[in-house]
Amino acid sequence: MFHFVGLIFKNLRRNLLRTILTALGTMALVFVVTMVWSVLDFINSQTAEKSNDFKVLVTEKNKAPSRLPRAYRSSLQEGAARGPDDVKPVDYMTWAFYGGTLDPTKMSRENFLFLIACEPEKAPTMLDDLDQLGPADMARLNAGVAKMKKQANAVIIGPEQLKTMNKKVGERFTLNGLIFKDLNLEFEIVDTFPEAAQRYGQTSLMNLDYLLQGIDEYESKNKKKLANADDPIAFIMLKVKNKSDYERLSAQIANSPLYTSPAVRCESASSAVSTFLEGWKDIFWGMKFILIPAIVITLALVIAVAISIGVRERRQEIAVLKVLGFRPGHIMFLVLGEALLIGILAGVLSSAGSYLLFNKVLGGIALPIAWFQRFFIPQGAILLGFLIGAGTALAGSLIPAWSARSVRVADVFSKVT
Amino acid sequence: MSALPLLLSTGVTPLLAVVRRFDPARISEHPLLFGALGAMVLLILCLAFVGKVPLAYNLRNLMVRWTTTLLMLVAFFVVVLLLVGMLAFVNGLEALTNNSGQPGNVVVFSSGANDEGFSNLALTEVSNVERMEGIAADESGQRIVSKEVFVIVNREIPTPKGAPSRRQFVQLRGIEDPQLAGFVHGLKLKEGGQWFSEAGVEESAGGAEGQPQVVRQCVLGNGIAGELGKDRPGGQPLGVGELFEMADRSWKVVGILDSTGSTFDSEVWAKRQIVGEGFGKESSYSSFVIRAADVNQAATLAKSLKDSKEVALNAMTEQDYFQTLSETSRTLLYAVWIVVMFVALGGVFGVMNTMFAAISQRIKDIGVLRMLGYSRKDVLMSFLLESLVLSLLGGLLGCALGLLLDGLTAKSTVGGQGAAKTVVLQFVVSQEVLATGLLLSLLMGLIGGLLPALRAMRMKLLETLR
Amino acid sequence: MSEREVIVRVRGVHKYFSRGSERVDVLQDLNLDVPQGEFLALMGPSGSGKTTLLNLIAGLDTPSEGRVEVADQLISNMSEAQLATWRTRNVGFIFQFYHLLPVLTAYENVELPLLLLPMTAAQRKEQVLTALELVGLSGRLNHRPGQLSGGQQQRVGIARAIATDPTLIVADEPTGDLDSKSAEEILNLLGVLQKELDKTIIMVTHDPKAAERAGRTLHLEKGRLVHEQVRQAHSA
Repeated sequence: MFHFVGLIFKNLRRNLLRTILTALGTMALVFVVTMVWSVLDFINSQTAEKSNDFKVLVTEKNKAPSRLPRAYRSSLQEGAARGPDDVKPVDYMTWAFYGGTLDPTKMSRENFLFLIACEPEKAPTMLDDLDQLGPADMARLNAGVAKMKKQANAVIIGPEQLKTMNKKVGERFTLNGLIFKDLNLEFEIVDTFPEAAQRYGQTSLMNLDYLLQGIDEYESKNKKKLANADDPIAFIMLKVKNKSDYERLSAQIANSPLYTSPAVRCESASSAVSTFLEGWKDIFWGMKFILIPAIVITLALVIAVAISIGVRERRQEIAVLKVLGFRPGHIMFLVLGEALLIGILAGVLSSAGSYLLFNKVLGGIALPIAWFQRFFIPQGAILLGFLIGAGTALAGSLIPAWSARSVRVADVFSKVT
Repeated sequence: MSALPLLLSTGVTPLLAVVRRFDPARISEHPLLFGALGAMVLLILCLAFVGKVPLAYNLRNLMVRWTTTLLMLVAFFVVVLLLVGMLAFVNGLEALTNNSGQPGNVVVFSSGANDEGFSNLALTEVSNVERMEGIAADESGQRIVSKEVFVIVNREIPTPKGAPSRRQFVQLRGIEDPQLAGFVHGLKLKEGGQWFSEAGVEESAGGAEGQPQVVRQCVLGNGIAGELGKDRPGGQPLGVGELFEMADRSWKVVGILDSTGSTFDSEVWAKRQIVGEGFGKESSYSSFVIRAADVNQAATLAKSLKDSKEVALNAMTEQDYFQTLSETSRTLLYAVWIVVMFVALGGVFGVMNTMFAAISQRIKDIGVLRMLGYSRKDVLMSFLLESLVLSLLGGLLGCALGLLLDGLTAKSTVGGQGAAKTVVLQFVVSQEVLATGLLLSLLMGLIGGLLPALRAMRMKLLETLR
Repeated sequence: MSEREVIVRVRGVHKYFSRGSERVDVLQDLNLDVPQGEFLALMGPSGSGKTTLLNLIAGLDTPSEGRVEVADQLISNMSEAQLATWRTRNVGFIFQFYHLLPVLTAYENVELPLLLLPMTAAQRKEQVLTALELVGLSGRLNHRPGQLSGGQQQRVGIARAIATDPTLIVADEPTGDLDSKSAEEILNLLGVLQKELDKTIIMVTHDPKAAERAGRTLHLEKGRLVHEQVRQAHSA
């Protein structure tokens, strides 16, 4: 067995050029598959139902983007619980959006800032993945949140966004409102999201109270209604223990007389994401069922070409091995082993390499799909690289290995002499 | 066997469509693409006619090692088909945003809003706009201004009891004057349909306890008629006279719009008041769409509206507006090229492997040719030609099958954050897409064949003969 | 030896290779005249330089020192490209392992050198058919080398060598891979080329029987001519 592996290595070394070319081809193709799969995997994780720590969105029932009146806020935070038997959410967060430009004469991307207005203290627990932060980062985030609680105009801005705006922590700036036209607010940057919170590079948080207060001040000062200000809340996010609590909570909200104009709906966060991604569904389908298979087929073909060339060139040698007593199974093992070795090594190298490249160097795959800006390579991708490398190597080398196995000694030597 | 005629019959229609669309004049619009393709074709012809080693020699060798040839052909074919398919999709998406804006139209939003989703125009604002100079008038002398309200409906898809609930976004446009709006947007009803009535509602059977119910009338774009029909048993598109549920109400289809390959194909149109009441927009419009008196004046009109001191509005030509929605197709195009570049790179390594192997198997052939007086250049040309011929065949095959993708429909999104619209698009396999597919294939052949061919050229004569 | 014009003139030729710092002499101070129409055999043990000499005369290689003239052309200082063109017009090659292109038919193999000459397709066809007829393979035009016996393949090789009507035919162990009967046939064919077509033939061989057919045999050892043997009976 050990000898066989040595023999496989020797064979690979002998035509080093072909081995390298095949490995490079495999790496290029596994690299694309890893990228495509990572995007799909993330989308999948966002739309998959979770069994506990259920996040629920309460939104306007029939319209998008959803807009809810302020009056809904306090009762929805309680999950519309009225009696002692009603289920109450474990946690909540109110979402509103405020956006504006730094310079009203230049409506360019760098000048535009979009903020999530919420209860600052809810961000660490209610925003996805922030609970994964290390203790140091968590302490920093909590300190930032505390500043936001104390100082109404304090904001935390994602490090990438800060770079785009060309501003620093400690600076103040004024936004000219776009979502709430004419509502111009002044902010002070108190911190950024920690670098480890990679998905929050372009996210910015502000205090919801500051927004609501701003609206009130504007209306009383100007003696007129501000457009879109009647229902400034986008949605309320609730956390419940499990699915059955979610169902009870849903029923409570649906049966409550408080929410008629507009009516509200209650749905799991993953289901809300699915609805938003409905328009992307065909594209994701194509990525999953056409793009990835096509790349995998191409890879299997590249490997098949390399291996079948190798077998054809070594027919004579294979015949000699047979004369020396190698059994057909041994020969097959040699050929398959060669393919598997290249496939697996190159596959793992490529997926692990893309893991490092995207996650540690490039800061994610920059692909703005819906509201996602960047995608990261999950650790599972390394296993994927292994599996694709092994699978395509096996598929590509099966036929050449079989033909090597079936080399007839007599045929080969009759040709030579 | 029965699949073949089917394949042929489905293949002929798109083929004809693509051929009909072929426009030699457009070649000059893409000088780089067609120039590069022309150069590659010229290179092949050059290699075949200036190179002295007969082409038959290469073709026979390709046939002798038919397994690797076949494998590589399939690889070229898959890569090219992939590129053609993905580009045809992006092309369809671009066609959608390009076709949606009518020349001569100006769209007006509230000041600060760049999109109809965020725009709120007071009902009274219309008189300020209609006063402007340079607006076309219809036969009755009325100025052509379509007043519209736009909402995105979060619609519950009817599912069987017990199945998880699903939702979709439906673009709903409330129209003040349907004939006028149809004219402004260049849309016509399909035969058998009509526009909704002045009231926008009608009585229909099927209410509770056998009572007639009041239903809302609507006209569907061709694409959304298909989408809304997809989730009912059978899945056929909705037709005139049929009812569907949306936002807790029953809606009746009174007409279907002819497909124009625009985003309007994915919209539901109804009376403005009906939409306004149902979705909290009773007292506002989302946009005015104005037909300028002169097509060339549209930009001027848009500018004067935007800059006007009397009214606080944002205005742009409709074509410019839809261009802002092409963000998605740019993102996709960029993703397509990243993917294709790496897949092609993988393919190039495969080509190199075959060609290096071909050369090491034919070292003696190279020696004989050189001995007989063939130059190093002839040897280089011959091997390069061989890999180019292979890539040409694979590329042509990929393009041929790519033709079948023309006209395929798929769902996608246009527009960026907050202003996304779900649309139904048709794959467009244009001459540019085919040219790009073929060019990619030939480039793979060229790059993959060059190093091996150079190695063949550099071999020492006496060593090859040994 | 006859009084005929000298077609190959080798003067003071040295050939050496460098192996590291060491110089390996393959040919040393070699002089040779070959008159038009001669059938010359080169013999000698392995490493004696006979094939190197043949390659120099055939323009496959150039000497380190000295001059090689063929038909009054100085080929020893031609560039690689000049030599290639010169070979096409002036030299026909015959090899031990035939050196045919396996994917091409007998006809196409013979046509191969003609493609480099300014000829019409009709002229080429005539010449290919004549050459193949001469070697007795008119009935095997569309066979590939793999479908022919060794002797037949060598005859295709000979047809290819004479198709361009070259000044000189060089043969490197033409019978080395053949059974005695086929070898006999090939040697007869070479004799016919020399006597009836007045071709100048230079042949490298190990086989004394093959050498017997030549009008003159030169023996090489360690890069020098050591012995010359002339057979009056065979020189015309």
